[in-house]
Amino acid sequence: MTTVQSPTPTPTPERPARPAARSGPRVVVRGSGAHRAAQAVVLVLLAAVVIWGGSLDPFGQGQLTRAAIFALAIMGLNFTTGYVGLLSVGHSAFLGLGAYTTGILVVNYNQTAISTIPWAMLVCFLVGLLVGIPALRIRGLYLAMVTLALGVAFPEVVARLDGLTGGAEGMTIRRTLLRPPDWSGFTLGEKDAWLYWLTIVLLVVTFVVVRNVISSRYGLAMHAVRQDEVAASASGINVAAIKLVSFGVSGAITGLAGSLFAMYIGSLFAEGSFTVLAGITLLIGLVLGGERTLAGPIIGGLAVVLIPYYTSGIGQGQASAVLFAVVLIAVIFLAPEGVAGGVARLARRWVVVVDKRPESIGRGR
Amino acid sequence: MDIFLTRLISGMTAGSVYAMIALALVVVFRSSATINFAQGEFALFTTYVSWWLTQHGWNIWLTLVPALGLGFVMCAVAERFLIRPVRKRDETAVLIVALALFTGLNGLAGWIWGSDDKVYPRLVPIGDDSFLALGGARLYYDSIFVVLSLVLVVGALSLVLNKTGLGLQMRAVATNPESASLCGIKVGRIFMISWGLAGVIGSLAAAILVPVLPPGQLGLPGMFHMLIFGTVAALLGGLDSVKGAVVGGLSLGVGLAMINGYGSFFGGSISLTVALVVIVVVLGLKPNGLFGSRRLERV
Repeated sequence: MTTVQSPTPTPTPERPARPAARSGPRVVVRGSGAHRAAQAVVLVLLAAVVIWGGSLDPFGQGQLTRAAIFALAIMGLNFTTGYVGLLSVGHSAFLGLGAYTTGILVVNYNQTAISTIPWAMLVCFLVGLLVGIPALRIRGLYLAMVTLALGVAFPEVVARLDGLTGGAEGMTIRRTLLRPPDWSGFTLGEKDAWLYWLTIVLLVVTFVVVRNVISSRYGLAMHAVRQDEVAASASGINVAAIKLVSFGVSGAITGLAGSLFAMYIGSLFAEGSFTVLAGITLLIGLVLGGERTLAGPIIGGLAVVLIPYYTSGIGQGQASAVLFAVVLIAVIFLAPEGVAGGVARLARRWVVVVDKRPESIGRGR
Repeated sequence: MDIFLTRLISGMTAGSVYAMIALALVVVFRSSATINFAQGEFALFTTYVSWWLTQHGWNIWLTLVPALGLGFVMCAVAERFLIRPVRKRDETAVLIVALALFTGLNGLAGWIWGSDDKVYPRLVPIGDDSFLALGGARLYYDSIFVVLSLVLVVGALSLVLNKTGLGLQMRAVATNPESASLCGIKVGRIFMISWGLAGVIGSLAAAILVPVLPPGQLGLPGMFHMLIFGTVAALLGGLDSVKGAVVGGLSLGVGLAMINGYGSFFGGSISLTVALVVIVVVLGLKPNGLFGSRRLERV
């Protein structure tokens, strides 16, 4: 489910008075003690999982880092494909663009890895704006074709620009170049742990930013554009600006993931990591986790990293592809809002969170 | 001059294959108004079945019968049970189901037959001297065979569409499914048959193209590029036009052969990008392609 509440929640009059007396879901008022307590429990549990991940062996921690990076990338995809409804198959290009921006700046221009993150995001933001331009005229399937073009073209262009990118042989970032900064307190030997914590922090920051944007006026405008462009435009929304900017922001978030991915993987092969199949994987993760949900990208990131790993022994390594297909079709038919949305819907049978009734209508949010 | 002719011939050969895949996409689009992203993988799967039968001593031509039949059944069943239930929801849902089929069929083929490349026999065996000399260029028999197959497929498809009752129903559904349904046409059945026909055309195209086009072997990733070229061809010609698919496919094939031959920067490895730049330009300037019909959208 989305976090955008309808502006005027309509609880039945007697509901706040005696919630427990009726059979049916338990009603919790947002911001009440019980709600705060539940939120605190969830936060503590999440923090426990993160700290547990920090104490894992290097391989397990690496898998979690990878999952967090993909969660970030899917979060970026969710921003435009989920909330604005602009279908993108080619977000792998943003992942690659972010990764290569970091790679080139670190290897050719001697920048520290962490200082390249803003540049990666900026480059991806600008390219995102550019890709958003066709989205002003075309929609749906046709837009998917344009983004597919982007995704397919990216590895070929990288291979062609071999002076800058190392071409088809790929680009290797030496491990010493990925040294954690001195202020972090991590040594070169703890590079993987440093990357884990860096990724987690950036994931949390992005999560909060996305959550706030989605529940802002801008987020409402994004929803409106997705549901009906003509109606949105009639309500005074600048549809073109919404589409362009959200494509740019989406690219920037996925570019951030790409930058981290470059630090994680250390050697970049456009034909390996950034083909359009990676873009399809991101889309699979998004749909599976849940479009237009906040938790969906995280579930999706975990799924697209962990499922192939745990099934690699079955069916000549092809089991994950078949499994993804089955799960995707099941999700589309049984829980169109994805795993996150499906769980939320189930949970609403027992617990419903409602907004506090506004004291006076005049004071808007 | 003979180099030009050689390039023209290889362009026509590849273009005929693209045109056939584009035809499969067009037949689906005319009924369901969607691009079947899994079309290539359906064809890949049936071609694996055909290869598997040849390993058991079947004649390659004979294996086409079950392969094409399977193509029909698989596509028709997918339409009925996977695509149609989500069609009403939105385009994204249909696309996701197609992507799921894409991933799943590819994985299934790899699961059953392994991910190493297979040698798929040629439908028309050629030796060192099985070509016609044509002004210094060699016109191999299998190139002729590919172009002839396209002519046959287009001829048969036009015949079905224009001369049979089934074709009349298909054209009615393509124009307006609701009115067609009011006239007593079983629209759902037409959808299924259209998808099945597309499956047959796609399977045939795959069986023809695998030995002829690089890499010349049957491998898991092979059909994806073909699907992209076929999609470009279909978009170029107009997604609902049979004539457009043929013109789009041939001009794409010849155009790419010429660009790869004569362009210095665009050569070789970047041909997919060139093809896709074509998509973007076509969609920007003429969203309905060269021969496609305009669709009005009611708000």
